[in-house]
Amino acid sequence: MLRYFRKRLFLLIPVLLGVSLLVFVIVHLAPGDPALTLLGPNATQEELVELRTQLGLDKPLVLQYGLFLKNILKGNLGKSLLSGEPVLSELKQRTPITLRLAIWGTLFSILIGIPLGTLAALYQNTWIDNLCSFFALAGFSFPNFWLALMLMLMFSIYFPVLPSSGMGTWKHLILPVIVIGIQNMAIIARMTRSSMLEIIRQDYIRTAHAKGMPSRIILFRHIFSNALIPVITVIGLNFGNSLGGLVITETVFSIPGTGRLLVDAIRANDYPVVQGGVMFFALFVGLVNLSVDFIYAIVDPRIKSMYR
Amino acid sequence: MKRLRYMSVVFSLLLVCSWGTLAFASELKVALVGGLQSFDPHKANSATSAAVLNQVYNFLVTLGDDGKVKGDLAESWEMTDDYTWIFHLKKGVKFHNGEEFTARDVKFTIERMQDPSTGYIGTILRGKEIESVEVIDTYTVQLKTRIPFQPLLFGLTRHELGMLNEKATLAAGSEYGKNPVGTGPFKFVEWVRGDHITLEKHSDYFGGSPKIDRVTFRVIPESATRTVELESGGIDLLFDQLPPQDFDRLKTNKDITLYEGPGPSSHMLGFNVSVFPDKRVRQALNYAVDKHAMVDTLFFGKAEVARGPMSRSIVGFDKTLPEAYPYHPEKARALLKEAGYESGLKITLFTDPRTDRKEVCEFVQACLIDVGVEAKVETMEWSTFLATTSKGVEGLYLLSIFGTGDADGALHPCYHSSNIGSSNRHHWSNHEIDDLLTKGRSTMDPEKNQEIYDILQRKIVEEAPQIFLVVPRYLGASRANVKGFKLSPNTCRPFVNISIDE
Repeated sequence: MLRYFRKRLFLLIPVLLGVSLLVFVIVHLAPGDPALTLLGPNATQEELVELRTQLGLDKPLVLQYGLFLKNILKGNLGKSLLSGEPVLSELKQRTPITLRLAIWGTLFSILIGIPLGTLAALYQNTWIDNLCSFFALAGFSFPNFWLALMLMLMFSIYFPVLPSSGMGTWKHLILPVIVIGIQNMAIIARMTRSSMLEIIRQDYIRTAHAKGMPSRIILFRHIFSNALIPVITVIGLNFGNSLGGLVITETVFSIPGTGRLLVDAIRANDYPVVQGGVMFFALFVGLVNLSVDFIYAIVDPRIKSMYR
Repeated sequence: MKRLRYMSVVFSLLLVCSWGTLAFASELKVALVGGLQSFDPHKANSATSAAVLNQVYNFLVTLGDDGKVKGDLAESWEMTDDYTWIFHLKKGVKFHNGEEFTARDVKFTIERMQDPSTGYIGTILRGKEIESVEVIDTYTVQLKTRIPFQPLLFGLTRHELGMLNEKATLAAGSEYGKNPVGTGPFKFVEWVRGDHITLEKHSDYFGGSPKIDRVTFRVIPESATRTVELESGGIDLLFDQLPPQDFDRLKTNKDITLYEGPGPSSHMLGFNVSVFPDKRVRQALNYAVDKHAMVDTLFFGKAEVARGPMSRSIVGFDKTLPEAYPYHPEKARALLKEAGYESGLKITLFTDPRTDRKEVCEFVQACLIDVGVEAKVETMEWSTFLATTSKGVEGLYLLSIFGTGDADGALHPCYHSSNIGSSNRHHWSNHEIDDLLTKGRSTMDPEKNQEIYDILQRKIVEEAPQIFLVVPRYLGASRANVKGFKLSPNTCRPFVNISIDE
């Protein structure tokens, strides 16, 4: 099985190559001029040309792409046009910040989503089911920036117990984690519910009941472990997207994360940051997906046997 | 026994005294809209960066509260001819590293700015007008310009000309942007990119030690979050970009002090003059827009109607100018009829997608329907917008003009024909205007200079290369215990005189 995963790891390389070409083409073909963004509306033609030369933007595209690839192989993701900082060091500084948010957010969403979905499944079509489904839907429907601002109003102004933005202490994490968690728990809850409902109907569960097995043991040993496999997929997908996907939360709570880095770079046509950032995110998503498949193999013997 | 009692008295006295000095260091927390680009003045050109740099650096000259240039590091200056400026520097000014500020540092700073290898990204006064800098003696420096260049003095007040310490800058090399050494009232402590910047007071500051011990700039990109932080005490000062709706709401809050002043940027809908060559049409559209109504509905009353191409906070503004083209739909219709557009006219208004910009365009669109003009509003992402309007759009484009803060910086890039294809988005070529702009740059006598710009402003209004709209007012706020802050539209001033009451 390990051989299979080693092969999958190597297959990531052509994927990343494809991503690099795609992002390079898109970023350079998109309208917008980084020199203009840097110098502002009052820049004269002379100044623009000079800056473009300084930034190496006047070279032919194929040459620029070649340089880009060559540098990546050396581990150099280029330098930001805006700040002059190496892209890799900006990513290195911000990734732990976003990951911390993503991990705690995911844990929070699991902690709320799975019990919610389980309750909904076990008490299907009762008021409990309706209530849980309602909460799940509500969590998903609230626009996250609105939720963020409401929580800020509540807990920083009306009941001033938490800091409203920024980072530093564990208190700064609470509000953003709640926002992220509430958004993600909806899908986890729904997935858990439908997955469990499917398992509950299976013959072997009925057999277990008939055998006289205690319901609690049936739940935890048989239902959960089988039902959670699709849920792991969802959690993995959410987590994989988090490097770029938390940008709104990061903006509202003034958290200097990777999402904000990328969006600001896109706005400013900061090519190296967009290229380097997207490559980095692609690698991360690839690795997370690989890990999820790996977890499947561990959790489900049927899948393990497929990985030969 | 007696000794013990004596000792305990002394001890408790000491305790009481030290309790007094246990006063916590006063810290001013300031919100920034975006991140700092660099502490290297030659690599930073955003207003946000300027706010931070103005705390760390000083300049040869600076703007006083009256809007006139006054000496900062220079005690006095004179011109020996139209090309030569002599600056006499203050003595005993200490950099943060203890070194004394001398004429050598001035020469070093300006030559570094002109050196292409340091990567200067500023646009104004790129040093190409300064031909040479010579050290006359330790405290005297001579600048020679290539042509008589009146905007030089104002250019020297800009954050890009923060005076650097030669020794420290060379020693730090490419890392200088993260390890600044200036003469300013605050010195560098820490910078976490995208999050916060910490400065502490420079007790040897030549203008007197600042009253606060620390300044922390916090990057808070979301406008609503900034207001929340102000109300919760997470920040003490918001020196610009307070939304006008929050301004009214916070009036009743006893913990907040509000500040209001003339704004820097003049909103305008520029014509691509090559698409609208008939002046009557351009003037007609100007008469068609109800600017006072725009101020009331879109800006909550926190704006002024434009009196020409520049805002009143730009140095060189003609104070006698009336409001440009007061609302007069009949005149608009008459002019359009004269120009042959009685049956109507179809135009397009271009803007970037920001809500406030779109609202302005939609407002104008509604006004224009009244006079028989059908306007379509089209949005483009900001950098695309800038690039496309430079090449020339088939219609009008919404921009706000500020420039460097003086008349030359506001007008020359936008209206001189040499800038068609880049900053002259009007694609307007007018010989008279070109001549006046060139003359303005080289007229050194202040009175004659002002005359030229007065004529220029009136001519530009008369020719109407744009629909003159409004100048939003500058709004700021601070916690009520912050004292000594003055709102300044040109740039955020040093916090030397700010204090925080406990």
